[in-house]
Amino acid sequence: MLVEHARSLAGIPDASHAEYGAGGTPVISLLSCSLQDQTISVDLTRGSCLAGLYGTLRALERTNCSYGLAPEVQHIANEHGMQVTATDATGEVRAIERIDHPFFIATLYQPQLSSVRGAPHPVFAGLLAAARSHLQSH
Amino acid sequence: MRPLVVTVLIDLPPDERHHTATVAALRHASEHAGSPIEIRVVPTETIYDINVVAAPGSAVVVGPGSPYRDPEAVHAVVRAARERGVPLVGT
Repeated sequence: MLVEHARSLAGIPDASHAEYGAGGTPVISLLSCSLQDQTISVDLTRGSCLAGLYGTLRALERTNCSYGLAPEVQHIANEHGMQVTATDATGEVRAIERIDHPFFIATLYQPQLSSVRGAPHPVFAGLLAAARSHLQSH
Repeated sequence: MRPLVVTVLIDLPPDERHHTATVAALRHASEHAGSPIEIRVVPTETIYDINVVAAPGSAVVVGPGSPYRDPEAVHAVVRAARERGVPLVGT
């Protein structure tokens, strides 16, 4: 999602993901500290859709991500309609969302790993609620 | 109530834990809200028509497990969802 954002809106037409090899301008790069099978604390941005879904400004989440937003292009996550909505204890961007869209959220953690029957994860509950609302408007 | 179509773009095998957790999380949310859904699991190299995947009135989950087999198709879906206001979450 950040690659598409970088290419289409942030003026980086050759934006690339380091996982696919060399070439282009990597906007997603290997994290200095791999986060395989870890639980991390994320701080949520007040007033964001994501914080509204959680109903809190701090949450524990599970992650298996080894890649994150490249330090050289951190600014694009807060430009052109995108905003950072979660960071971890090291300051790494952990979630983004579009401010001009009904529901457009990317997480660099895996909310599905902490969803259970009877207590769905708020990100997935929010997705369905937004889609149901969107469906009824069409 | 009409089922909501949710497309999950994912290349991981169906028995891999992130794959099963993604589908399960959608079912948990559906059951809890009483909002019926139809989940369509789509490996990225089989994205033939972004107008179907990112159709208005549907939702998209860009699943975990990159590198994707067809990242350009994923970018096209993300762009379509962004431009059309289709709810999307990427994990």
